Amino acid sequence: MFKNYLKIAWRNLLKNKVYSLINIAGLAIGMTATILIALWIFDELDRDNNFDNKATIAQVYQHQTINGRTGTGPAIPRPLEFALRKDYGDNFKHLIMSSWNQSRYLQFGDINLSFSGNFMQQGVADMLQLNIVKGDKDGLKDKSSILISESTAKALFNKQNPIGKIVKLDNRDNFSVVAVYEDLPESSSFSDTRFIAHWDFYLASQGWIENSKTRWGNNSFQMFAQINDNTTMEGVTAKIIDVKKKASPNEVEFNPQIFLLPMKDWYLRSNFENGVQTGGRIENVWLFGIIGAFVLLLACINFVNLSTARSEKRALEVGIRKSIGSKRGQLVSQFLSESFLIVVLAFVVAVGLTLLFLNGFNELAMKEITFPWLKGKFWLASFVFIIITSVLAGSYPALYLSSFNPVTVLKGTFKVGRYSSLPRKILVVGQFSVSVALIIGTLVVINQIDFAKNRPVGYNKEGLIQIPTFSSDFTGKAETIRTQFLASGAAVEMATTSSPTTQVWSNRSGYIWDGKPEGFQEDFAHTSVSYDFVEALGLKIIEGRAFSRDFPSDSTAVILNKTAVDYMGITDPIGKFIRDDSENDPAPPLKIIGVIDDMIVQSPYTPVKQAMYVFDAYGNFSYFNVRLNPEKSTSANLEIIERVFKENFPNLPFIYQFVDEQYGRKFRSQERVANLSQVFTILAIFISCLGLFGLASFVAEQRTKEIGVRKTLGASVSQLWMLLSKDFLKLVFISLIVGSPIAYYMMTKWLQKFPYRTDISWSVFVMACSGAIVITLLTVSYQAIKSATTNPVDSLRTE
Amino acid sequence: MSTLVNIQQASRTIKSGGNSINLLDSIDLKVNEGDFISLMGPSGSGKSTLLNCIGMLDNFTEGNYTFLDEPVHKMKEKNRVKLYQEYIGFVFQAYHLIDELTVEENIETPLLYKNVKSKERKALVADMLDRFNIVGKKKLFPEQLSGGQQQLVGIARALVATPKLILADEPTGNLNSKQSQEIMELFAKLNNEGVTIIQATHSEENASYGSRIVNLLDGSIVKS
Repeated sequence: MFKNYLKIAWRNLLKNKVYSLINIAGLAIGMTATILIALWIFDELDRDNNFDNKATIAQVYQHQTINGRTGTGPAIPRPLEFALRKDYGDNFKHLIMSSWNQSRYLQFGDINLSFSGNFMQQGVADMLQLNIVKGDKDGLKDKSSILISESTAKALFNKQNPIGKIVKLDNRDNFSVVAVYEDLPESSSFSDTRFIAHWDFYLASQGWIENSKTRWGNNSFQMFAQINDNTTMEGVTAKIIDVKKKASPNEVEFNPQIFLLPMKDWYLRSNFENGVQTGGRIENVWLFGIIGAFVLLLACINFVNLSTARSEKRALEVGIRKSIGSKRGQLVSQFLSESFLIVVLAFVVAVGLTLLFLNGFNELAMKEITFPWLKGKFWLASFVFIIITSVLAGSYPALYLSSFNPVTVLKGTFKVGRYSSLPRKILVVGQFSVSVALIIGTLVVINQIDFAKNRPVGYNKEGLIQIPTFSSDFTGKAETIRTQFLASGAAVEMATTSSPTTQVWSNRSGYIWDGKPEGFQEDFAHTSVSYDFVEALGLKIIEGRAFSRDFPSDSTAVILNKTAVDYMGITDPIGKFIRDDSENDPAPPLKIIGVIDDMIVQSPYTPVKQAMYVFDAYGNFSYFNVRLNPEKSTSANLEIIERVFKENFPNLPFIYQFVDEQYGRKFRSQERVANLSQVFTILAIFISCLGLFGLASFVAEQRTKEIGVRKTLGASVSQLWMLLSKDFLKLVFISLIVGSPIAYYMMTKWLQKFPYRTDISWSVFVMACSGAIVITLLTVSYQAIKSATTNPVDSLRTE
Repeated sequence: MSTLVNIQQASRTIKSGGNSINLLDSIDLKVNEGDFISLMGPSGSGKSTLLNCIGMLDNFTEGNYTFLDEPVHKMKEKNRVKLYQEYIGFVFQAYHLIDELTVEENIETPLLYKNVKSKERKALVADMLDRFNIVGKKKLFPEQLSGGQQQLVGIARALVATPKLILADEPTGNLNSKQSQEIMELFAKLNNEGVTIIQATHSEENASYGSRIVNLLDGSIVKS
């Protein structure tokens, strides 16, 4: 029976080639979009699934409330470790203190390369289930031991056995390789941990770290935890939430709350707003999931519309089959098998299209998804997907077609009623409403990105490079290097900073100033900078002056940004002092010598944070910021700078970043959303147009006689074109009215998450509307003009 | 001879724009097994409607209709289809073959709906092809056949499920006289073999092949 159904379905496909093509192409494109989105979603959800113990791993997080606003983050103070071990140790299988992932130089022989890695405590190999390919799993015993990943081992040692070899870290300290572990997969949160050195070394490496042992206020470290099997994340959190408050009365005013963020939330749900977990990437997962479902739905609507539009043609067959003994259920099965066949064919095409576009999609989505040929789950899901799509697309036509009365159909007087096209019209309106909403949504996303991109950054990011200077080799060399860079003609200015131009690495409090309100909990972004900072970055001084070698007292001077001045509530800031409020051994007061216009360091979507730029009297810099000579080409400048760099630091690799590129990264995630939604919008429009084209050709065919009669009565081609296009335009107008408010509502909500945001301008709606109308006319006109120019003698004769 | 069809005081009324129209009015008709009845009457007299109602494609709106002692007027749709799959075959003026199926497949279709096993189906279809001398045409599609040949296939299709009753609505209406004669001779032969036939026709000549003529006018039987 089923074979017979398929046979007739196949012959029907071949007989109506255009119709079949539209149907299969539309469904295939919709399915391709859905498959790509599904692969993307599964890739997102697959994060950290390489860890069998994922459910027990967490990172220790902290809420702190400053001036009524609660901030949340993974930075925790060192004494927390001791408190947790002492009083709550039986809840944890592992507690692992860690530095922040950072690039460091590792040297072996002549090879000196930069790798990102962490300093961590012993036990990390067990917690992360590191697959040790060589050496001792528990080797991270003393402070000069280091674990390296396979890729690191290959880069440094090539084919030699790394175990027991000595590598030099940052050109200074010797470490002994105790084990090599298999690199963690790209989907792992620790994928860029290419070495793990001993935590104790980190503690001893810098004075402030050593001194942080008892400082509950110094939130500069991170801690990972694996909880015991007999506990839960919530249970442990409930126990440890007030540990900091209890241990440190000084911190109570910030209401610090310690909690565990489970590994499953790290990637997808790491956003907090005022102490409440608000989501994160999971929102995009939902967003694209919904878009995927809609695109598929649009494709199914095409199928439904085209099948029911052709019902007059199929009606006779239904009548005959009923008259020779078919039950209605059997007809329903037949039509469902037909849609099943079409869906299967479309799926095959969709798999082909997916393979074809997977690379481009990966580039767009910044992913490395491969087609899951060998995953049983994928094929199972595909099968379910095919069934669902068949039912979705096929059930209405099946029920509709099988309902025909054989007597009227066989009499040959069968005409579908006046209102039979109503469901079809509603579906078309639905399709176009979705398309219109997607167009508007995409335009708003693009507008918002442009808006943020055009926001003045407050400095000149073009022609500016930053060179990381983490190695101690750089200590005390900044002035010499600056002189040499300038003399070489490749740079016009250079300054050092303690953090990159596009990030805040340090936030500080503990200051007092005249007029500071009672109980004000201050919090400044803090950067140490050298002379020439203002000049090198191209900042704009709006009051006072920049740091200058002419004023020896500038070693205790500070420059504020405009926001900081407003934030502190001071007028005439120049010459005023900001003092350290610690009781013993306070740092010397900082004299305000200048105010600069706000410079965007963090997110381009949020207001600029109050910032202080203090003079770096101790040479604690992390970056050289070099303003390249605009008279020369960038490549020529870089060549010279590298040469000068190598002359001074022959053992260090020359690493640099373009500041404008670094700044551009801030837009990446939104641009990714924009790119993807653009693609899916175009797909949605294309699918809708395909359906419209099919309907238009059907209507033109149905009205052949009417058109012939009108022509003989003297109607012109343009009048006929109007006549045939009008109906479709009406539908599109209704779609605009339906789709626009939905899009407006959704996008207003979306924009809410950006404090610095564009308005939804009316031009967006005008563009979307005119776009939809033009596209509709183009789609419909081909058929309209074709039938309008047909010789009426032909069309009337065939009737 | 047992009674196959027994219709008593059956009418069919439809509503059209506020008026009710009697398509069939108080019909009494008894058909015995082995009858060959010709329904005659002008266009619009209700021949086709009566055929459709007997064939259970349509329903009487009033009156009783028993088929092989089963009260059709009281049955549910599902059981009616079963009854009719089992005992009735239709032949149409416009043949109404399924264009997408070959001759062989067209004949096979009613058996599919009756869930006959594949082997048995093949055998029955082969019998039919043999009987109507169309073995050579079994792989052809309807559009490749002449009208007479198409009607032969139509009759083969109606007969393949070995029904007790064949309902033929102007079976020769689209055929030339030679083809008509062949088809009518075929019906007569089938009738001799025991198949009950009811045909609607305009042609006196065709009606003469039958055993009984029922005249219809404006939905009522004039004389029988």
